[in-house]
Amino acid sequence: MSEHNSEKAEPNLTPLLDMVFQLITFFMLVINFKGASLDLSLKLPVLGSARPLERHGNLEPLLLNIDSTGQVKVQGKQVDVEQFITKEARFLKNQLKILGTPIENGELPVPVIVRADRSAPFHLVNHILKICQDQGYRNFSLSAMSREEKH
Amino acid sequence: MQRSHSQRRRRRKRDQGSVEMNLAAMLDMAFQLLTFFILTFRPAPIEGQLSLNLPPPVPQTNVEANAKGGEGIDNVLAMETLHLHVVANDRGDVSELKVELNPIVQGRLDEGNIQRLDQKLHSMFAVKQIPFDRIQIAVDGRLRYGELMKIIDVCHRQRLPDGSAMQKISFSEVDVGATSNAK
Repeated sequence: MSEHNSEKAEPNLTPLLDMVFQLITFFMLVINFKGASLDLSLKLPVLGSARPLERHGNLEPLLLNIDSTGQVKVQGKQVDVEQFITKEARFLKNQLKILGTPIENGELPVPVIVRADRSAPFHLVNHILKICQDQGYRNFSLSAMSREEKH
Repeated sequence: MQRSHSQRRRRRKRDQGSVEMNLAAMLDMAFQLLTFFILTFRPAPIEGQLSLNLPPPVPQTNVEANAKGGEGIDNVLAMETLHLHVVANDRGDVSELKVELNPIVQGRLDEGNIQRLDQKLHSMFAVKQIPFDRIQIAVDGRLRYGELMKIIDVCHRQRLPDGSAMQKISFSEVDVGATSNAK
């Protein structure tokens, strides 16, 4: 008699599922795919006057992660800096040609974002800047932290 | 009797209409997705940028004149470029910093020295007769990039007579070690 009357306890999973989907949506929206191109192991210099970069146009800036030994990493892989910058500049010039954007005085209208480790000697960083200048890059954005990171 | 009959009819109607989905499997999957996103979540660091326009270095005509001129603000009149000279030690720290030919910083670039440099540059830019509109920093190649950025930060804080911030900052590499060896 009692077996017949006992009811199966079924929790209502709908609100739980709703909440989980909301959390998934949140994480999908804040996921940062560009973060993969940043070398987060670098210790950037701390600068009070550093401001977020204002982007003009649709062209992607050239991003250079320079470690303390002057090596450049792209998507986590070490590359030959001269070859890489030359290739990127050539690609950009072709892109500008297709878009019909004139290159005035050989100056490329795209900034170079320099994310260099604070302990890198200046001559190594300067060598890379010179390569960029030789290829026509003129605008440089030096990355820095606005304040010291707490670990 | 009448009541039990209507109850039975209502229950039958309900049993026919409702479709119960098994949400457990979907919830499992949703939790797996959530776990993936939580584990791979890495907030992007809050980075700022210091924008500089750096054309290839060209010879400066007023460097020699300035070197002959000697020290002091009076001798740098009618100049457009203010020159800083930074010498580093073997560890890459600043060992000496000169504004034109005046040594302003001796030793490490700590808070006190940064303030002294700021005050010096501020006093030079405050003189309306001197039309400085750019700063050129001659940097010892051994200097650490972080130290150079501290100097650039101080330069960037200076205000031009029109109230705008100093934007024209350039730097060139000087091999101080080789120069001193040659001497």
